[in-house]
Amino acid sequence: MTGESQYARFGSGKSVRRVEDQALLTGVGIFADDVSLPGQAYVCFLRSPYPHARVVAIDAAAAAAMSGVVAIVTGADLVAAGVKPLPLSIDFKRGDGSPTASPPRHALAVDTVRFVGEAIAAVIAQSAEEARDAAEAIDVRYDALPMVADLDDAVAAGAPLVWPAAMGNASAAAKAFDKAAHVVMLDLVNQRVAPCPIEPRAILASYDKTTGRITLRVSCQTPTGLRDALCAEVLGIANDKVRILVGDVGGGFGMKTGLYPEDVVLAFCARKLERPLKWCAERMEEFLAATHGRDVASKAELALDRSGRILALRVFSLANMGAFATPAGAVIQLMIGPWVSTSIYDIGTIDIRIKAILTNTAPTSAYRGAGRPEAIYIIERLMDAAARQTGIDQIELRRRNMIRPEQMPYSNAMDKTYDSGQFELVMNKATTLARWNGFDARQAEAQRRGRWRGRGMAAFLEWTGADVFDERVTVTVTSGEKNDGEIEIFSALQGMGQGLLTTFAQVIRIVQGDTDRGQGFGSAGSRSLFVGGSAVRVAADRTVAKAKVMAADEMEAAAADIEYRDGVFSIACTDRRIGLFELAHRQPEQRIVLDSTSSVAGPTWPNGCHICEVEIDPDTGAVELVGYWSVNDVGRVVNPMIVIGQLEGGAAQGIGQALCERFVYDRESGQALSATFLDYALPHAGMIEHFEMTMDESTPCLNNAMGVKGVGELGTIGATPAVVNAVMDALARGGRTEVRERAKALQMPLTSERVWRAIRG
Amino acid sequence: MYVFEYQRAKSVADAAAALAKTGGKALAGGQSLVGAMKLRLANPGTLVDIAGIAGLKGIKQEGAAVVIGAMSTHADVASSAVVKKAIPALAALAEGIGDRQVRNRGTIGGSLANNDPAADYPAAVLALGATVQTNKRKIAADEFFKGMYETALGADEIITAVSFPVPKKAAYVKFPNPASRFALVGVFVAQTQSGVRVAVTGAAAHVHRATAIENALAKSFTADAAKAVKIPADHLNTDLHGSAEYRAHLVSVLASRAVTAAG
Ligand SMILES: Cc1cc2nc3c(=O)[nH]c(=O)nc-3n(C[C@H](O)[C@H](O)[C@H](O)COP(=O)(O)OP(=O)(O)OC[C@H]3O[C@@H](n4cnc5c(N)ncnc54)[C@H](O)[C@@H]3O)c2cc1C
Repeated sequence: MTGESQYARFGSGKSVRRVEDQALLTGVGIFADDVSLPGQAYVCFLRSPYPHARVVAIDAAAAAAMSGVVAIVTGADLVAAGVKPLPLSIDFKRGDGSPTASPPRHALAVDTVRFVGEAIAAVIAQSAEEARDAAEAIDVRYDALPMVADLDDAVAAGAPLVWPAAMGNASAAAKAFDKAAHVVMLDLVNQRVAPCPIEPRAILASYDKTTGRITLRVSCQTPTGLRDALCAEVLGIANDKVRILVGDVGGGFGMKTGLYPEDVVLAFCARKLERPLKWCAERMEEFLAATHGRDVASKAELALDRSGRILALRVFSLANMGAFATPAGAVIQLMIGPWVSTSIYDIGTIDIRIKAILTNTAPTSAYRGAGRPEAIYIIERLMDAAARQTGIDQIELRRRNMIRPEQMPYSNAMDKTYDSGQFELVMNKATTLARWNGFDARQAEAQRRGRWRGRGMAAFLEWTGADVFDERVTVTVTSGEKNDGEIEIFSALQGMGQGLLTTFAQVIRIVQGDTDRGQGFGSAGSRSLFVGGSAVRVAADRTVAKAKVMAADEMEAAAADIEYRDGVFSIACTDRRIGLFELAHRQPEQRIVLDSTSSVAGPTWPNGCHICEVEIDPDTGAVELVGYWSVNDVGRVVNPMIVIGQLEGGAAQGIGQALCERFVYDRESGQALSATFLDYALPHAGMIEHFEMTMDESTPCLNNAMGVKGVGELGTIGATPAVVNAVMDALARGGRTEVRERAKALQMPLTSERVWRAIRG
Repeated sequence: MYVFEYQRAKSVADAAAALAKTGGKALAGGQSLVGAMKLRLANPGTLVDIAGIAGLKGIKQEGAAVVIGAMSTHADVASSAVVKKAIPALAALAEGIGDRQVRNRGTIGGSLANNDPAADYPAAVLALGATVQTNKRKIAADEFFKGMYETALGADEIITAVSFPVPKKAAYVKFPNPASRFALVGVFVAQTQSGVRVAVTGAAAHVHRATAIENALAKSFTADAAKAVKIPADHLNTDLHGSAEYRAHLVSVLASRAVTAAG
């Protein structure tokens, strides 16, 4: 890189092309499975075919004798070696103060298997195929146990509740409902979905006998958290005995946060066998054994007075934790979702009760949006239903209930404080963008083609930050051969396809994904730019301040007279100047190093208004998305192209949940019915071709110096309710009263058959 | 994948001999077979690659029929000037199979030999009353499709070509499965020299003719006539993506749309 072009790319607010794309698009990115070590062996996991069974005996003798087999490890072996179960959500208490219940989660099942796909043994062999051959030859005797895969069944059977949570004020809410002019009620299912990053998880584990350290190269969003959980809680070793390396990550969407059983097994076995080990998940393994998202069923009610003012919100939910309560899974449903349950509306009274339920299914955890999509789906579906029931226009109803800018900072009913937001402004801009007033003509035209057209809106906010607000950044300016050099910034944030490198600083060589170089929370909860980027920005400012002193020394001037611009320090009103890299070159070690930790004041509350139009083919029930517009307040925008990419990609996943995605377990057998892409319906390109995403930058975030807000999850959160509201609208306009009534009971995904049944009865 | 042997056949006779000897399987485009092997659902022992055999490719008009070599890819058929002119519905069907990569490798012979219950080509072969030519014999469409993934082919029998009589008019309408994009239901309607034939794929264990719709269309070749036929749901598939009742309903709707599209 030459100095000129580097600095030219500093410009904030421009759609700079992504620096990571050349490598990724030409196939020279380095993902975890792309790295191999001499002498490496391969791991294959034998997984439970039963949703719930006692493991009577594991006979691995024949398998162990097969060609290429190095070792076979079971849960009993791990327990005997002192390996402890994976951390669970232990911080929660039940209403009566007693601790949460969850079976221990061993990396390899001990005695009992609790979901289809749970790992029960690991086979290590010279090749991946030999490992798999041997895994098939292991003879496991199971005693099937009664199982439950479905939420309703779980409650009926009196299965253990992990944690019944209650928030808000039940009696105040009850009073509000008693005196309400209108009560709107919906049963809403936020179905289970699979995150589906394009790159499955992969692990390369190695052990260095001389240092006694284990190195794991993984595909992970939160390397430090993985390391700490692995060392402190499971292997019982010091944190510095494990190094985590992360290269390119092909998507995470929350699924690659936290410690997985496979991480434990690879780390343990690499150390035990003193041999590098490789595992790369197959797609079906990811469907079965990686964490899923959502899976919440709610009964939601809104009390309104005669003028449409909301008096109270009441939500009773069942949240499916799967077979084990993962740390994130419980937090997402029991804490994060409720934080935004009142969204952008001034609702003083809430009554929220959630029961977290264990079932014989894969554990649920983070998935893009994590808690907020569920909450926003509920409130935005209720708003549309309320508009229909009261006869008040849906925009007017929202406007009457919105928190106004002069109420900022605003504390919501969950005691969360919004720093900023102009929700009506954003909604007004969105309706203009979507040509709201021209809808009738579009509907009439569709009708001539035999199609039912409808439109839907979601006006909403979300919370970002993962509640970890500080970040450490190391800046190193190194001089090169000539007048050039390199600025390296290390942070523990983790790119996974979002273009973090580009956004952070186009001039800077960002290094990430090495727990030996830096530790931090990692990338989740849309925190990378507003926490990490802010930290980079502060570190850069501090570096310039430090270098100014050095430049003043060099040029024998006062630091106060030094100006910095485009990589050059100069003395004000003179032509005396020195370049950044030259300055670094003149230092004793020929570099300038600065270690900076900084924090932001609090979370961000990005918000937006998403509007879409759909057309239904009444003969088949097929839903087609024909238009999608949004205005988004993500604070200041560093790189519009990347922000729009985040909004569009996020919306694609939200549309997927609305229309086609669902991970299904058979209610009777507990078997997964959608564990391949032949059955798991991701949205395809033809469904997501009408995006018009825009940003409104007039409301900078007040909690960080850059004024930025998170954006990674906004699209996902807005799209789902916008699309479903549009389908409901189309059904209400196209159909008779019975259709409208049946439509109320429709649940996602809105498959063609479900919509057809609502139309036909 | 289980370990397997790979052989490249030079001629059809060569391939047939290798199949007879090894009990293995022919490899055409690999778009069904290799996927099944990766999932360990197929374990053929030996793969006999027929892709290099001269004479299995090529598309030509022979009198009142279009003859398509078994190794012709979906992309070949979709872009063939001969097919587009004589049986545009067949070219359009091929264009709607899978994605570009699949169309560039998958073959008509492979698709028919595989006889996936939701595949597209079987509907065209059955509705157009095509003839499947093998190294041993000629098999009429009505005799070819035997069951789910089952055909009249013997173990060492190789499809060499498919001969499609040119219809008066025809159209195929597919309602894609939202996940796989195979046919949740697909209906091929053809007005052939010997009458109206309607074939349905995706709805049942294997492709079949919808005789009730054929009869209705024989009387009146109109969209309304097709739509008015109520298809019983008895033997149709129910799965995650659609109930038998929904599929039955789609058969009539798609048939009526195919009639409209046929013009
Ligand atoms: C992502 C994806 C999407 C797809 N979507 C669709 C779709 O929408 N619609 C659709 O219809 N299909 C679809 N397919 C299947 C595709 O059309 C396959 O190409 C076809 O089913 C098999 O053809 P092939 O040449 O690849 O055969 P192969 O996979 O090589 O072979 C399939 C079987 O046929 C046998 N065989 C092959 N050639 C011959 C021959 N000449 N004589 C005798 N036996 C033979 C083989 O031994 C094997 O048993 C899809 C496939 C994929 C991977």
